[in-house]
Amino acid sequence: MTPPMKRARQSASPPALIRGRAWLFGDDIDTDQIYPGKYLPLTDKSEMARHAMEGTERGAEFLKSVKPGDILVAGRNFGCGSSREHAAIAIHGAGISVVIAVSLARIFHRNCVNTALPALESAGARKIHDGDMLEIDIARGEIKNETQGMVLKTEPMPELEREIISVGGLLKYLKSKGDMGIRGSGDQGVRK
Amino acid sequence: MHQMTIIEKIFSRASGRPVKPGDLIWVDLDLVAMRDFGGPNVVGEYQNSFGSSPVFDPDRVAITFDLHIPARDEKVAQNQRRLRDFASTQGIRLFDINTGVGQHILFENGLVKPGDIIVGTDSHMNLLGALGAAGFGMGTTDIAAGMYCGRLWFKVPSTVRIVIKGKLGEYVTAKDVILLIIKKMGTDGALNRALEFTGPLVDSLSLAQRITLCSMVTEMSGDIGFIEPSAAVLKFIQDRVPGKIGSISSDSGEKFEKTVEFDVDGLGPLVACPHSPDNVKPVGEVAGTAVDQVFIGSCTNGRLEDLQLAARILEGKRVEKSMRLIIVPATMEVAREALKAGLYDIFLESGAVVTNPSCALCTTGHPGILAPGETMVSTSNRNFIGKLGKGAEVYLASPTVAAATALTGKITDPREIE
Repeated sequence: MTPPMKRARQSASPPALIRGRAWLFGDDIDTDQIYPGKYLPLTDKSEMARHAMEGTERGAEFLKSVKPGDILVAGRNFGCGSSREHAAIAIHGAGISVVIAVSLARIFHRNCVNTALPALESAGARKIHDGDMLEIDIARGEIKNETQGMVLKTEPMPELEREIISVGGLLKYLKSKGDMGIRGSGDQGVRK
Repeated sequence: MHQMTIIEKIFSRASGRPVKPGDLIWVDLDLVAMRDFGGPNVVGEYQNSFGSSPVFDPDRVAITFDLHIPARDEKVAQNQRRLRDFASTQGIRLFDINTGVGQHILFENGLVKPGDIIVGTDSHMNLLGALGAAGFGMGTTDIAAGMYCGRLWFKVPSTVRIVIKGKLGEYVTAKDVILLIIKKMGTDGALNRALEFTGPLVDSLSLAQRITLCSMVTEMSGDIGFIEPSAAVLKFIQDRVPGKIGSISSDSGEKFEKTVEFDVDGLGPLVACPHSPDNVKPVGEVAGTAVDQVFIGSCTNGRLEDLQLAARILEGKRVEKSMRLIIVPATMEVAREALKAGLYDIFLESGAVVTNPSCALCTTGHPGILAPGETMVSTSNRNFIGKLGKGAEVYLASPTVAAATALTGKITDPREIE
């Protein structure tokens, strides 16, 4: 059997540089703050985007002023709480191009990858100020802070995550493989 | 082969090779579940990507209705209709509005056994670690993909061992133990990790108490918390699962990232104060705080035993006159047992409202949410700001603290009732 992961490795292309203005949020921002529970019944993604970050202290300001390409910067444990994918879809739909956090909660992190919203961890996120102009190089794992004239490192994004994001999310990734659903085929190459 | 923890054993079996922490792997799933709120989006994603293709195995997919039940408005009704139609077309089991909290419904119906990998649209799927199964909460895209492929990718977490020693005092429960652990470890203290609860106290815990412990690993951002199944837990599972089940445990020897010990001798009841599950204080420090509403139930504290703890305190008494007490059994099976045991009489005579089994006051979607400035004591697992009503305050506590508080209208140490 041909290991599909090997083919994927050859065709992977890292996303281009991402440049945008930073929106700063704090520690332990949970998914109820990112996307309040009262909007859970919504199924339309553009409707979800109208409620991104609505439960945070600066939700109204964010929704009024966020611009396409802006970058969301947060402290530790961003996206903790419920499994709602609405959270990732809403901030992506509102225009956020990448999420940088000191640490990312597991389910939220997966939801970002699966919906093709790049999300990176960086201990240096603490040094970013609200409104700083940032340029993110995912492949190199670097945040260039143009406003402050400094470069921060990010945790490397695993190759699998980069592949999924570069083709537009998990469902498109699986379709691109053409041989999905092979149960019992085990792990096709343990990868870091 | 090196010594392995429970999660490493489960992932090694399901991926077909020995794994270690940090590995990114693809594994076969034993069960894929969705709920009434995440489910409609799962079905939407599924149909957009795969049209009317059959799911990988209809016997390994389940839909549970547990949040907005019965439907409270037209949008929710449409969402539920969509799931019923999908289940019927695909031949998938659907547990409708007369069942209860999803994970509990899955294990009560024999769909969970030790060593299984189970994913679902609920961040507390990991409470299945109380049965030795690897449950993972996930978003809609993961569930749609898993439902089609029967497999998903995972990053193998490292394992932290939590050793619990000592004996619990009267009115002190597993809820107090997990609040103690969350207080020490913090809301991200288990991020990207599995936990294993061990020690003499843990060995003696009932399934309900194990569920309380494991469910709140989510509140430390952990992947999952496991407890090696006891003989009683194995019997509970075997009575419901066709075919002979096996147990699961870690190998002896050093393979944990670290070990953290807790001694619960002398531990009193605890509460998690607004607005974070790790803002934990002894009940005495906040005793006397005025409370408008008490909720007893949820995936964390909605089993028969939890209701019995509350009934013991409420029996023959009336809740304080301005207090609203809402009690919600986790499942219909629990509700029937509670009815047989006479608990409904105790609750209704005390002045409580008992609603149909569901997740209840976990989100703003359920009847009973709070007005700005109101305060609730809840046996659930989260007290995030705004989660149960803008401007409201929520304290998390055990069923004994909750019941004592319902009687007095203010936060009360259950040891001081009578």
